[in-house]
Amino acid sequence: MATTDHQDLDPSVVAKFHFTREMIEGPVYRKYQKAMRKFWSVEDLNFTQDARDWATIDDDQKRGLLGVTVRFLAGEQNVTNELVPMLAAAQALRRFDWTVYVATFLMEEAKHAEFFMRWHKEVVGALEPEEVAQHFLVRGKTIDPSGRFKVHDVLHEALPYYGRRLLESTLAGTEAEIERAFIAFSAAYNAFVEGVLTMPSYEIVIDTTTSWNAFPTLRQGFKLILMDEGRHITFGTYACKLLIEKDPSYEEEVHRVFDKYRGNIVGLVEYQKAVPGLDLGKYQVMKVRHYRNRCREMGITPDDTLIEQIVDPTIDFVVGVEAG
Amino acid sequence: MTEGAKRWTCVEAGCSYELVAADVPSAIQGAQRHIAEAHGSFELEEMIEDVLEDVPESEAGSWSQPTP
Repeated sequence: MATTDHQDLDPSVVAKFHFTREMIEGPVYRKYQKAMRKFWSVEDLNFTQDARDWATIDDDQKRGLLGVTVRFLAGEQNVTNELVPMLAAAQALRRFDWTVYVATFLMEEAKHAEFFMRWHKEVVGALEPEEVAQHFLVRGKTIDPSGRFKVHDVLHEALPYYGRRLLESTLAGTEAEIERAFIAFSAAYNAFVEGVLTMPSYEIVIDTTTSWNAFPTLRQGFKLILMDEGRHITFGTYACKLLIEKDPSYEEEVHRVFDKYRGNIVGLVEYQKAVPGLDLGKYQVMKVRHYRNRCREMGITPDDTLIEQIVDPTIDFVVGVEAG
Repeated sequence: MTEGAKRWTCVEAGCSYELVAADVPSAIQGAQRHIAEAHGSFELEEMIEDVLEDVPESEAGSWSQPTP
C-alpha cells in the first residue's frame, strides 16, 4: 500500500532500499530486464557439425581461424576477471540499477568464456592453457615501419591498469575520483576494446564461416555474444554520458585512453591477413563508424586525427605482424 | 526512449545517409537495412536505439525515405 506520509521514517531504514519508480523505468534497468529475457545457454548449442568441418579444412585455414578464436578465448576470460571493479564502483556510486545490470554483464562474460572453452574442447580438441597458448597471436610483436605508433595488448595491459585504478578509487577515493576512474575504465573496456577494437573481429569470423559455409555453431555463438555485447557497450557509454554531463571535464579521460592506444586502432586487424579472401578495407573503415558511434553515445566530440589515421592508406602496418 | 518519429544518421566514413522513421522499431529496421546494403556490415539494435533523435511532429509529417 502506497502512502505519502513519510515524516516518521528512520532515514537509516529507508537507506536499506534502493529501487525507485524512476529507476525501473530507466534505460539501465531496461538493459537488465532485456538481459534476463534474452538469456541463452552454451549447453543448448551443438558442436557436432563444427567438429566435422574442422576435420575438412586445411592447415592454413585452421591456423587463420585459431588465430581469431584463441584470442577470443583468452579475451573473454580476461574481461570476466577484470569486471569486478565496475561492480564495486556501481555500489560505491549508489547506483543500484548499474549494480543489477553489471551483475548480468559479468555472468554473460563468464558465459562467453565458457562458449569459447567448449568450442575449442569439442571442435579442436584443445583446452589446457598449454594447448591453446601456442596459437595466440602476440600483438607486442607489431612494428610500425613509420615508427609513429606503438601497439599494446590493450585487453591484457590496459584493463588491469584501469581496473586497479578504479578499485583503488572505489576503496579510498572521493566520489569525483571514483567517477573519473570509472570513465577511464569504461572508455577502455566498453568503448575501446568492446566497442571499436573487437567489432571488426566479430564480422571477420561471421564473414569467414559464411564464405566457407562451415562452422554454424561458431557463427551462432558469435551472433549470440554480439547481442550481449550490444548491451555491455551501450551501458558503458551511457554511464560515461551521464557522468560527463555531470562534469564535462571527464571527457578528457576518454580521449586520453583512445590516444594512448591509438596504434591498436589505426593498424590493420591481424586476422584480416590470417584468413585468406577477406575484404581488407571493409574492416578498417568500419572502425570509424564504431568510434564515431561510441563518441555519439557518450555525447563527446570525436578526435578527427584518429579518424584520419584509421582511413589513411599509407598507415598499413598489421597489428601482431613484425613488418607491415 | 520517448514515443514518436525518430531520426538516425549513419556515421560510416564517407556516408551521410539519414533516415526519419515513424517509431523506434522502424528506425532500427531501416538503419540495419542500410548498414547491410550500403556497407556489407551490421549494426546492433542497442547501438541504433541509443543514438536516435526525436523528430518534431511537423518534420515527421513528411516521413522521408533517405538517399544513400
